[in-house]
Amino acid sequence: MNRNNIWIHLGIALVIIGIAAMIGQVRNWQLTKTNTSSEAVKKAKSVSKPIAVKRSVEESEPEVLVKFRPGVNLAEVRKIAAKNNDRIEDNLELVKGLVSIDDLDNLDAETVAEQYRKMSDLVEYAEPNFKIELNDPTTVSPQNLLYRSPDKNAPNDPMFEEQWALNNVGQNGGKENAHIDALKAWAKTQGSQDVVIAVLDSGVDYTHRDLITNMWIRPDNIPQYKDDQLGTFNDKNGFNATDNLSDPMDDNGHGTHCAGIIGAEGNNGEGVSGINWKVEIMPLKFIGRGGFGSTKDAIEAINYAVNRKRAGVNVRVINASWGSTMYSKPLEDAIRAAGEEGILFVAAAGNNSTNNDSRPHYPSNYKLSNVISVAALDRNDQMASFSNFGIKTVHVAAPGKDILSTWLNDEYREASGTSMATPYVAGVAALILASEPDLTVAQLRERVLQSVDKLDALDGKVENGGRINAAKALGN
Amino acid sequence: MSFNRESAIQRAREDLAERLSVSENEIETVSVSEQDFPDMSLGAPVDDEMSGQMISGGWRINLGANEKTFEYRADKYQLRLVGFNGTNHVIVS
Repeated sequence: MNRNNIWIHLGIALVIIGIAAMIGQVRNWQLTKTNTSSEAVKKAKSVSKPIAVKRSVEESEPEVLVKFRPGVNLAEVRKIAAKNNDRIEDNLELVKGLVSIDDLDNLDAETVAEQYRKMSDLVEYAEPNFKIELNDPTTVSPQNLLYRSPDKNAPNDPMFEEQWALNNVGQNGGKENAHIDALKAWAKTQGSQDVVIAVLDSGVDYTHRDLITNMWIRPDNIPQYKDDQLGTFNDKNGFNATDNLSDPMDDNGHGTHCAGIIGAEGNNGEGVSGINWKVEIMPLKFIGRGGFGSTKDAIEAINYAVNRKRAGVNVRVINASWGSTMYSKPLEDAIRAAGEEGILFVAAAGNNSTNNDSRPHYPSNYKLSNVISVAALDRNDQMASFSNFGIKTVHVAAPGKDILSTWLNDEYREASGTSMATPYVAGVAALILASEPDLTVAQLRERVLQSVDKLDALDGKVENGGRINAAKALGN
Repeated sequence: MSFNRESAIQRAREDLAERLSVSENEIETVSVSEQDFPDMSLGAPVDDEMSGQMISGGWRINLGANEKTFEYRADKYQLRLVGFNGTNHVIVS
């Protein structure tokens, strides 16, 4: 090999190395791009809520903050804003219904806010987006801050401030402390998954993201439910008496609403908080899609709960947010049998504005030692106009008007009725049991009924003249 | 089956015509109003029925025939006839 050949070979080698390096780099780029793409996919799958687009520095701050009333959805809000030639800058999920709005007409912020205040049927409040100067704290007035400093016992659930029944600070025209005093109660306990509470209703949407972790699932050591006539059920998620197929999925919404009041997971940064942050909810479905069911199916479902208790499931409370004026001896007997197994039965007093002493409503009127009959209150500690009453037959009152809770398909909804008051009582009973699991059903009933706030509005209307108080019930 | 206001009215008219053995043309729609009912049986329970005690929105449909007025109640999922011959009836659920 002569000297010239060496240089030629060396040159070729360098070119090859260069090409190889470039190919390697391209491959690296491809890998990086692939990884980034799969990260993006993973992230997109894990994030369920839309992310607000970050404002560029050139863009101005949104001019007004507007809180729309419950029931006005984001699509409607967008339409309203478009009509005003405004644009939604962000949906502030922390407070339900709150959006920040940019005006595109160069109007001053106060004028824009006033435009929204005039829509009082749709808008709760609207105010200019106050600028907070960190270097001049004296300019920050507490009235200008959107959010109340959270109590140390408050959960981080974004809709918690709408839950006046748990913590009434006078929001939406309510009366301060017209509530069950949940914050004080939670200082002692936030519930326990050792306590099972049966929701005897239209089923429960057990896949709801705010309920799923608090749903009862039949433990492996508990045998499947067997009915002598109907055979064996795969009662993994509870019981369905309407079709005997045993899937207690809710197709109405009522049962899911009651379940959320009792035990929507608390402090999970999602939706609402139940009275019990932790509990086990056993769905017993006997009400169909229309919102009503038969006495026979109710009895079958109670029978199931008693059977499971005997099999070792710690069912301590049945919530019964339903009823009628029809007396049924078999239903009365079934509820008595549940009491003999140590199960408290909490029942709605009814919504006909009538006196249950003279016009009985069942099952709330059964004179049984394990039954509590519940009337409904509004956010001002007044008896709800629809609520039944009865100095001899209605035992206690609880919040039951404009109650926000879970609904089908991961939704939330406000509802009213003694249906909504009942799970507050059942939920407080479960909270007591989390703290004192060995109470008998008689002791538990006594505790719920004796730890109330007496109200003038209930004088002569309800046996103990009081609204339940969770904190007092826990001795806090 | 799922109702809206118009389909609930239509089904009520058909039901009443059949009950009274008259032509549907002889049924007059007297009034239709949105209403909050006290419970999920729309305040018109039938025997052996238990209903959710939640205030429920729906329609009150008053129909006229044979110089009498007949009251139906409906929501998305059901249609009821109130106090016909002294009792309530579930027409569709």
